[in-house]
Amino acid sequence: MLGLITRRFGNVRRTLTRATVLPFLVRCAIAVSGLVAMAVAWPFALFGTQYFVPLAAVALYPAFAPRGRAATFAALTVIAGWLVDTAFQDTRVTLWRVLVIATALYLGHSLTALAAMLPYDSIVNIDVVGLWVARALAVILVSAVLTVFALGLSAELAGGPFLVATVVGLAGAAAATLLIARLMRRP
Amino acid sequence: MTGPEPLLRRAVPPAASAVHGSGPAWVPTRALGRAVLLTGLLLVLGVALGRVDLVLLAAPFAIGAAVHLRRMPRAAPELLVGADEELLVEGGQVQASVTVTNPDVIPYDLVVVRTRTSRWLKLEHADRPFALTVAADGWAAVDLSGDALRWGRQDVGPAAARVAACGGLLACRPVLTPAHGVRVYPVTDPFNAIEAMPAAAGLVGAHRSRRMGEGGELAGVRPFAPGDRLRRIDWRVSLRTRDLHVASTLSDRDAEVLLLLDVLGEVGLSGGVTGSASVLDTTVRAAAAIAEHYLQRGDRVSLLEYGASARRLRPATGRRQYLTVLEWLLDVRPDPVEQDHDFGVHHVSSDALVMMLTPLIDPRSADLLALLARAGRFVVAVDTLPAGAAPDVRGPWTPLATRLWHLERGNVLGRLREHGVPVVEWAGAGSLDLVLRDVSRLASAPRGR
Repeated sequence: MLGLITRRFGNVRRTLTRATVLPFLVRCAIAVSGLVAMAVAWPFALFGTQYFVPLAAVALYPAFAPRGRAATFAALTVIAGWLVDTAFQDTRVTLWRVLVIATALYLGHSLTALAAMLPYDSIVNIDVVGLWVARALAVILVSAVLTVFALGLSAELAGGPFLVATVVGLAGAAAATLLIARLMRRP
Repeated sequence: MTGPEPLLRRAVPPAASAVHGSGPAWVPTRALGRAVLLTGLLLVLGVALGRVDLVLLAAPFAIGAAVHLRRMPRAAPELLVGADEELLVEGGQVQASVTVTNPDVIPYDLVVVRTRTSRWLKLEHADRPFALTVAADGWAAVDLSGDALRWGRQDVGPAAARVAACGGLLACRPVLTPAHGVRVYPVTDPFNAIEAMPAAAGLVGAHRSRRMGEGGELAGVRPFAPGDRLRRIDWRVSLRTRDLHVASTLSDRDAEVLLLLDVLGEVGLSGGVTGSASVLDTTVRAAAAIAEHYLQRGDRVSLLEYGASARRLRPATGRRQYLTVLEWLLDVRPDPVEQDHDFGVHHVSSDALVMMLTPLIDPRSADLLALLARAGRFVVAVDTLPAGAAPDVRGPWTPLATRLWHLERGNVLGRLREHGVPVVEWAGAGSLDLVLRDVSRLASAPRGR
């Protein structure tokens, strides 16, 4: 038992001594994105209480294990929190919260994809991370414009958000179907 | 006698996961699965609950996937390990590189290159993975520079690369490339033997032979005979004796030197060019120095391994032979012989000077030396055992056993000397002069012991 602990401690120490800056910063960004998404999605009353601790652990875990399913689980937890807050507690959907959650979720997802491939001790060219983050920010910007436009449109339309959600959702589903079909055709 | 290897994770994935295996080279990553799952789930929830905000949460994932997957890679990346091919000697600078080529029309967002290198190549950051991007239809290289610490064929590689494209939604199976051998030649201690060869046997060369002929060494004065050159007439003696006399000389001829390398085992811990020398280190460096010296003097040098495979290099002379010798020495490895086998003294030319580089640890080495001496060969034993070499202490009896072994070895050396085999420790320049003189003297005596 003592030997196991000593070995684990030695492994952790070796990991810390070999770790390089950019992979570490990428993992820090994943942790921050997860925490922000979790804090904004779940009811504000939970923030700072002991109930937020497991949520924070779920949000932070992808930073430590980016190759597993932790990122998917964390994203699903964020979505669950958003549904709990807006559907069951009748909190009003505000633009900034939708924007922040979408941004943090996608940034966390994209950086987790990078961290899953990037060894913690690698020597990284700055353009690898720079281009990766720039592409993610471009996607976030386009999505944000779409979000502002769609939420504004739903407020304007007499039919309310249900019609907009149906139209946009069906359009998205059609696009996803096309995408999957294209993937299946890939040699 | 190497220490325990540190616990390190595998630098290169196992060969089974190489791109040469079955299946496509490019596979979806977990990130693609996550994007599809979240998009689908949020769209379904949005439509079912009539919530546009849920649909908008799915927007970045859908847009990101659509943008990144609009063009997909089709070909596998290419990986190549290279190194400069200049004459590299122990302690010299090595320049190696790992090049990743992208034959596709889309850029690689992330390429992680790992490589293994020989422990005798101290390359900068070679123990770390490198992450870089490669433009479409372009290439990128990781430069690995450092020092070569020991002679031999030192490997750079194998190398492996994992590539992510389409924003990390697709990844390539690991691509492997075999190692590239860098030839590191041994440093040669300056060696100089001024003594005559025991048996100069060729047609031309730098050594005086024991036969008369055209040469520079005066052998005596004899009466003129038809065929003698006029410039050889010794006028002083001719005037005194009132008969023509000529000065006869010994012919200058080359000789064959056979370097017999004892590779039955390796003793001592090699520390590279700046550290301690093992038996094989001393053997290879001494052989290179001796070969260089005799080849520069115009002699024929051949090499022979005393081991299981008994590798041999045929005798030749000149600079080309020196380069061949260096190349041949790169492949010297411990080559133990399990059973007793007849080495075959007939492989050794009767006129050759045999220099056996041996640590004299295995009794068969001493037997071979005695056998060669008994067969009338001119043999010199060069002791390559490192000073202070001793086995690891395994118990209270180890020091005593070591002492006994040293005494026994001393006995063997003494008996060899009694058999007419001089044994000399390798100490670089001039270390063989004394024994070569003894061997020359022995060679001048009539044969037929």
